[in-house]
Amino acid sequence: MQEQLSRAEVAGASAPSGAIVHEDLSAKWFLVSAVSYFFIVGIVALVIAAKFVWPDLMGTIAPLSYGRLRPLHVNGMLFGWLLAADMGLTFYLIPRLCGVKLWSEKLGLATAGLWNVIILSAVVCLLMGWNQGLEYAELPLALDILVVVAWLMYGGNLFMTISQRKYPAMYVSIWYVMGTIVWTAFVYLTGNFAVLFTTGVNQANLNWMYVHNAVGLIFTPVGLALAYYFIPRSSNTPLYSHKLSMIGFWSLAFVYVWTGAHHMLHGPISQWLQTISIAFSVMLLIPVWAAVYNFFATMRGQWHQLRENVPLKFLMSGVVFYLLTCFQGPMHSLRAVNAIVSKTDWIPGHAHMAVLGAFSFFAIAGTYAALPKMFGKPLHSDSLANWSYWSFMMGGLGFFVTLWLGGFWQGWQWNNWAIPFIDTVVALKPVWLVRFFSGILMFLGIVLFSYNVLATALGAREQKA
Amino acid sequence: MLRKADNSASWAVAASLVLFSIGGILTTVVPPLVDSSWAKPFENSDPAKGPTGKLTQLNELQLQGRAIYVREGCWYCHTQQTRTLLADTKRSGWKGVDSPVSTPDEFVYDSPHLFGTKRTGPDLSRVGGKYDEQWHRTHFRNPRDLVQGSIMPPYPWLVENPQEFKAIVAYMQSLGRAKNWRPNEDYEQ
Ligand code: HEC
Repeated sequence: MQEQLSRAEVAGASAPSGAIVHEDLSAKWFLVSAVSYFFIVGIVALVIAAKFVWPDLMGTIAPLSYGRLRPLHVNGMLFGWLLAADMGLTFYLIPRLCGVKLWSEKLGLATAGLWNVIILSAVVCLLMGWNQGLEYAELPLALDILVVVAWLMYGGNLFMTISQRKYPAMYVSIWYVMGTIVWTAFVYLTGNFAVLFTTGVNQANLNWMYVHNAVGLIFTPVGLALAYYFIPRSSNTPLYSHKLSMIGFWSLAFVYVWTGAHHMLHGPISQWLQTISIAFSVMLLIPVWAAVYNFFATMRGQWHQLRENVPLKFLMSGVVFYLLTCFQGPMHSLRAVNAIVSKTDWIPGHAHMAVLGAFSFFAIAGTYAALPKMFGKPLHSDSLANWSYWSFMMGGLGFFVTLWLGGFWQGWQWNNWAIPFIDTVVALKPVWLVRFFSGILMFLGIVLFSYNVLATALGAREQKA
Repeated sequence: MLRKADNSASWAVAASLVLFSIGGILTTVVPPLVDSSWAKPFENSDPAKGPTGKLTQLNELQLQGRAIYVREGCWYCHTQQTRTLLADTKRSGWKGVDSPVSTPDEFVYDSPHLFGTKRTGPDLSRVGGKYDEQWHRTHFRNPRDLVQGSIMPPYPWLVENPQEFKAIVAYMQSLGRAKNWRPNEDYEQ
């Protein structure tokens, strides 16, 4: 039965959904905001990459110093771009999978408005140095509360939509979105509120639980929701296996949350907790391989479509990056490997492959695929979209690979204490230079992408007028 | 059993929350209950058991310095943990004496914790007493005046503000001092 559902869904044969006109207002506003932040924060990203090469750059202006811009880069990319894009795309796909309109476009628009208030206030706070000092949880408490309110508005809207759905059976993407909504609530509350009542190692443990699961139980499930929706959609092929997607989902639900302490391996935290986090980190391979196998098997016999289909290029490259990054993760958690790569430049290489290479690629693909449907006209330019793919791809690969090589080498040097620390800094300078130029390529990708999106959106406006 | 979740949203939500909370509770709520060293401040007066000393709360000035450290994002480039790796104890060491490993009981009063994730600069968990005030003044004004090839940002606004400068140096000198590990009380002021 499920198989049929996905087939019908894919072919767009389901008559009832054809009768519905989706307004997509909330989706559009979220996507347009997200893409704008992608561009703005992309500039910040380039500046901090440049500061590794030219440390005196803008060095005497406090709000533009490295320690202020780095959290702006991280929070801006995670919450301004990626989460906002994910929220917009789920506003697009959930109503379609449920065969009904979004429960309330008004509420959705209010959520988008509130989200923009949060992001813009965050920019001011971080530049002023109003930083709580906890990674991913830098924002002041007042903004944390607004995030919770926005999340309740977002989740409530989608749950109401889901509860009114036409089809009783829920496609995988719906579970993943529901999972994202409930897990995020708990993970976010732990990372931003519970931490405030603790100190020291106890606080660090909660902080890492949050940091790890911000990726593992927020960006991963919503990213997979997009992949499960857009891969079959864009390739016009039903999903390979429903059962496999269930294994992936339920093992993710169980395994991910245990692994936070692997951020403190060899550090001042109980050995037994480190060991637990290692064991569960290795088990992460189960949900990852289940999902990835499903995507590959779906594409069987369809790979030729990659040549022409830009969203599919992003999607399948994203799947490969997801596979790689989630192979690295468990490997880093092994004590012997961790002793080399931990705290080095390898780690940003790994993190960017997850958040840019996998999850942003899914969101970009979804945006390219959804835009024409939402605006009822073709994308502004297919060839620019293709160019954006190659810029992201080349820039991304340059970034990941140089940081791995550089970071591994750096870790190797640190373990030889005869080498003075400063020599290990100087040794990495060529690596940081290549990283900067890769960053320029990635930024070019952002420019091409955001221009294309805005041109499509604005063009659509003109047509109406 | 999980098949039920195919058709029932509330079932799917309930099941995903239950599975999530098993690990969630066992790895966040339980460990501090089981491991008392997370909450008990370091104190040792018996040299046979390792370095002696006592963890005390930071004073007003040191806390102000710590707030500056948070505000300026020093913790994005510096860790504060000497890990159980030989290289770490050597690098945090002093004149051939290895530094003791960081233990949870040294961080009981820390909030926000500043263990850090990235070592763009060296670990600072035992930097207390490594350099004198004059060194820090020059270093914060422009690190490259002291250390050729450094990529640490300059902090002229700290040096030019006497109160803030005093505070950040007081905080630097407090780091790692709960354990009195250097021979002959050899700490710079
Ligand atoms: C961009 C990363 C970066 C930031 C941000 C940064 N540092 Fe550094 N720091 C370094 C590097 C690299 C070195 C090693 C070279 C040197 O001594 O200048 C260093 C060295 C140091 C040292 C000397 C450590 C030793 O054992 O020799 C101290 C102390 C220090 N930094 C304190 C700070 C403080 C306090 C701040 C915030 C106000 C800060 N750093 C911000 C990168 C950074």
